[in-house]
Amino acid sequence: MLSLIVFLPIIAGLVILAVPSSQKQIIRIVSLLAALAQGVLAVLIWRGYDPALPGITAGPGGSPLGSFQFVEKIPWISLHLGGFGSLNIEYFLGVDGISITMVILTALISAIGVLSSWTIQKQVKGYFILYNLLASAMMGCFVALDFFLFYVFWEVMLLPMYFLIGIWGGPNREYAAIKFFLYTLFGSVFMLLVMIGLYFSVLDPVTGNHTFSLVAMATQSNYIKDAILGPDNVFWRYVAFIVLFIGFAIKVPMFPFHTWLPDAHVEAPTPISVILAGVLLKLGTYGMIRINFPLFPEVFHAGMYVIGIFGAINIIYGAFCALAQKDLKKMVAYSSISHMGYVLLGLSAGNSEGMVGALYQMFNHGTITAMLFLLVGVIYDRAHTRQIEKFGGLASYMPVYAAVVTVAWFASLGLPGLSGFISEAFVFVGAFSSVTTRPIAMVSVLGIVFGAAYLLWSLQRMFLGQRKQDAAYDLVVGEDGHEHIHFHDWHGKLDLDGRELAMLVPLVVITIFLGIYPMPVLGMITTSINKLVQVLSPVVLSQM
Amino acid sequence: MHSLIQLSIVVLLLPLLSFVILIFFNRRLPRRGDFIGVGILGTAFAISAYIFWSVIVQTYDPAFRIAWDFTWIDLGNVPGVGPLQIKMGIVIDNLTAIMLAMVTLISLLVHLYSTGYMAGDKNYGRYFAFLGIFTFSMLGIVLSDNLFAIYIFWELVGLSSYLLIGFFFEKQSAADAQKKAFLANRVGDIGMWLGILILYSQFHTFSFEQIYANLAAGKFGLSHGWLTAAGILLFMGCVGKSAQFPLHVWLPDAMEGPTPVSALIHAATMVAAGVYFVARIFVLLTPDALHVIAFTGACTAFMAATIAITQNDIKRVLAYSTVSQLGYMVLGLGVGAYSAALFHLVTHAFFKACLFLGSGAIIHAMHHEQDMRWMGDLRKKMPWTFATFTLATLALAGLPLTSGFMSKDAILAGAIGFAKVEGGGIYYLIPVLGFFSAMLTAFYMGRQIWLVFFGESRTHLKPADDHHQDHHAHASHDAHSDDHHEEHGVHEVSWNMRAPLVILAALSIFFVYSPDPLDGGKGWFMKMIQTPATVVGEANHQIGDLRTASVTSALAEVVPAVEAPAVEAGAHGEAQKGGHGEAQKGAHTYSDVRQAEIVHAGHAAHFTAIYISSIMVLLGITLAFVVYVFNIIDPEKTAIAIRPLYLFSLNKWYWDEIYEATFIKGSMLIANILSWFDTHIVDGIVNGVATLVRKFAYLNDGFDRNIVDGMVNFTAFTVNTTGAMLRKLQTGKVQTYVVMLLLAVFGYFVFYLTRLIY
Repeated sequence: MLSLIVFLPIIAGLVILAVPSSQKQIIRIVSLLAALAQGVLAVLIWRGYDPALPGITAGPGGSPLGSFQFVEKIPWISLHLGGFGSLNIEYFLGVDGISITMVILTALISAIGVLSSWTIQKQVKGYFILYNLLASAMMGCFVALDFFLFYVFWEVMLLPMYFLIGIWGGPNREYAAIKFFLYTLFGSVFMLLVMIGLYFSVLDPVTGNHTFSLVAMATQSNYIKDAILGPDNVFWRYVAFIVLFIGFAIKVPMFPFHTWLPDAHVEAPTPISVILAGVLLKLGTYGMIRINFPLFPEVFHAGMYVIGIFGAINIIYGAFCALAQKDLKKMVAYSSISHMGYVLLGLSAGNSEGMVGALYQMFNHGTITAMLFLLVGVIYDRAHTRQIEKFGGLASYMPVYAAVVTVAWFASLGLPGLSGFISEAFVFVGAFSSVTTRPIAMVSVLGIVFGAAYLLWSLQRMFLGQRKQDAAYDLVVGEDGHEHIHFHDWHGKLDLDGRELAMLVPLVVITIFLGIYPMPVLGMITTSINKLVQVLSPVVLSQM
Repeated sequence: MHSLIQLSIVVLLLPLLSFVILIFFNRRLPRRGDFIGVGILGTAFAISAYIFWSVIVQTYDPAFRIAWDFTWIDLGNVPGVGPLQIKMGIVIDNLTAIMLAMVTLISLLVHLYSTGYMAGDKNYGRYFAFLGIFTFSMLGIVLSDNLFAIYIFWELVGLSSYLLIGFFFEKQSAADAQKKAFLANRVGDIGMWLGILILYSQFHTFSFEQIYANLAAGKFGLSHGWLTAAGILLFMGCVGKSAQFPLHVWLPDAMEGPTPVSALIHAATMVAAGVYFVARIFVLLTPDALHVIAFTGACTAFMAATIAITQNDIKRVLAYSTVSQLGYMVLGLGVGAYSAALFHLVTHAFFKACLFLGSGAIIHAMHHEQDMRWMGDLRKKMPWTFATFTLATLALAGLPLTSGFMSKDAILAGAIGFAKVEGGGIYYLIPVLGFFSAMLTAFYMGRQIWLVFFGESRTHLKPADDHHQDHHAHASHDAHSDDHHEEHGVHEVSWNMRAPLVILAALSIFFVYSPDPLDGGKGWFMKMIQTPATVVGEANHQIGDLRTASVTSALAEVVPAVEAPAVEAGAHGEAQKGGHGEAQKGAHTYSDVRQAEIVHAGHAAHFTAIYISSIMVLLGITLAFVVYVFNIIDPEKTAIAIRPLYLFSLNKWYWDEIYEATFIKGSMLIANILSWFDTHIVDGIVNGVATLVRKFAYLNDGFDRNIVDGMVNFTAFTVNTTGAMLRKLQTGKVQTYVVMLLLAVFGYFVFYLTRLIY
């Protein structure tokens, strides 16, 4: 099941390879079908998932599969290295409460991304092959339970992303693409080193061999005491935690490693921005939850305060930077930085409320920010500019668009009744309840005000009031005597068309539904988070 | 589930239904579906009236309370806490029942009124949808049994307020005002949120009941200072929503919204939600927190009143008057006059809604003229509006036989009592400011009545360019799409706008609330809403005789001190009895003793308050007459004579300018600095590193080319040169090879012989 959901897009990519590049429509439809099939599989996995099983570490009795579900585990690469013993890499997939929500999110955002890619005209064939490769790699990252396999997916993801920005992006695309690529690669080099270190420090309790299994690594009793990253080697465990953290923090992106993000977003085409903000950023925090924290719980415990401070910086710094932006897409990019700060803050709390909030925020940020970037794309398609100052009074002329923007903007600023509120609220509840992060939480609430400030201000400048003198569109009086607006070089529907609604309405519905009744998502994650909190708690650590 | 709970859920969801229907389908419905809004609200009011009847009239029990809740979020077995659920629920007590009826009634009347006032607007249907979601959120605040739910609905009323203030969003001023309102409220909300977090972090629950039970059991794990902080932070929510100083600036600007909205949201219900919320958390407020609240209320009441006297916009006068009256309510809660404050909340809601709807009628009739300087002589043309407006004005000014008189005097009496119990001194500032504001209220309302309804019509006096300017820059007049300025006469409004005025005016008369026009304490309201027993205090865990003894001795001290002014009244005995009764019922803690003393002293000061406030009100009215009716004092000359003061008041104490210069400019400055920092420093470092790496790569390239490759090339060169030299030996001639062979053999011999010799 999990193999299928991971490799479906690649299969679609292979099919596309066989389609002549002139058949653009067929290529799109094949991609869409793959994405929809992925969605169906995600729903099946969701229905079949048992929320009572926690996952995270080895299961009862040290079972190497843990209490993960939909597990697939077969030996993949097995090399005998003489004196070093043997290199055992497994093809090991599985989901628990941490990954299941991300799997669903990835399937959802991938499908919406395909719809959003409909307008891509340049080298359609190449685009969709790369897109499908990207979709597979993302999904693979979230279900891989073997560190080596995770690393492979992680690296495979970079390549299509590099080309998708670098070929289909805006005017400064090559700079942005290479910046994204090198920055992430920089982080993953460290990851590789830590991964090898971990391999030599952990033994599979069943086979007695070294292993890359994240399940085995998350169980502290599997470590060799005096190995390089064994419990006795405190210094190297700290170093490993920090470099691994930086590797993931780049992806989040955490201040001060965030500057690739605004550039990448501004240059990337709309669907790639949607994927980037909706799924890729989550890989950073997912990596922290899955690998960084449970493998080094005592270091996490010592560093909670620092992580919290970086979370607060992200929240407030991101909000201020967003306030100063003149390009709408750049503003949304900085809002992403601010909102991912909530995830970091929630994780740093180290208690269930905070971590549930963080994980829920990852899901909600995925849906809400996808919506924001889609909406930016809508106006960019029409006006060929994203300068906020070039608009004004749009609400009078594009009422449906304005209504969806209002919902999305208010979701982003954390209005109760919409999903983002609940996750932010839990992040604060958790961060405040933890004595360590309480002062940080007290400062971070400023983000609530400044978040509202930049969003409402942009909403006002673009949608309310009257058309500005140098606006990106003309005012014309139609036959019925009413005023309309007209964009140059735009021959489609003025307000949202069917395809745009098909992308946006599901996200709006999800945002509202999960804002009123969050249990469908929270119900899946609480057991795992409670287990994780237990794994990370100092009481458990002291018994190690 | 209790049947009243079921009914209240129906009441809560009905306006939401109205919102959903109207937001999606209004264009497909006849009359844009306004009848759905009115009909649904009518049903909601009918059910609320039934709940009111069952709770207040039939049960008639001050301690009535029913509750119901359900698990909303289940966090499972949380490490360190155990099973943890976040619950949502509904509580119905006397206060809820009264608020429910009040909110649905005013909302219904505003819906009805709006069918006239908003007729012809291009977004007519959407307007009713927004009214629906507002009413839903407001009822949510009223019914919630926990802090989290209140916070949710709190922000949702903020949203509806945002949507309705900016209803005429094409106007820049409306768009500015809605943003300002939302942000000012958010500032208050983060305080409120932090207060909620303090309480949650200790008890892992949001429920009022459980928090209070835990507090009363002394389980608060942090210091007393944190508890005071929690109270003040929660109160910040009220500061935002109820437009208290220093966050009051948004409310006058909110008058950009349609006038019926101003009546419903920005006068009667939403802004009073702050006061309602403080009442809900009243029992956890420590004396220190209460002092902060009292002073905030007093300052707000006074400041807003001083501003109201110079405003020319009919709605702005009422807006500042609202701020001022909300200040009274907050003051009342702060001084411990709990029931009086809530009483004033209800009476104010009715008469202020009446005033706003009346002003709406005037604005409607005057073709969107809002400046009182260009009105005058409307009493003959609009008799119904005049009569109801005047009655509501009397209630606002606090003249006897009106509802406002009873509630305001109850608050002021409480303030006197409070000052006495706290030992006088600075605490007397609170009643003094209260009485002074009462005088100012009478003055500015007298001025308003006179300017609007009496004298000569001054429509023609309006300068033409002013009129023009009015349209673009000047504040708040409702711009309808059919806003054409035909010159037909001013006339009375139609029945659907008149009926709400009459009903609201009738609810401003004393007998609705109490049989004795001089004493609200004899009425049902003050009997049903009684000060709850506090759950905080240093002596929380002291039990038994000690407690009773301290109460008795405290009362013994207080009674003689306050007896003198009260004796003449004759009502003293009853007041004292009431005071004793409550003191004994809630006599648990030190704070309770204090509370009992204050309530008692307040009762005792009842007639003192009546005398003083009546004198102040009369003074204010006389002054208004002297200035505007008899023209003994010319307002314009006075304004010039005290120009700095006049400008200070006209410009609203310059708060907007101060905030603009500090917070807004400051935030933008920080934003721009950080953005610059981001692109030039943070990203500069990244690009700098990249450049360095490139530079290094060039260096490396040079090294590679010159040194590494140089060595390779040198080797090759050497080989090459050697080869070239050796190549010359390869001539291809046999003779040469023979010669070389011979030379080699010869050489070998020489070498060998040399070895032999040595």
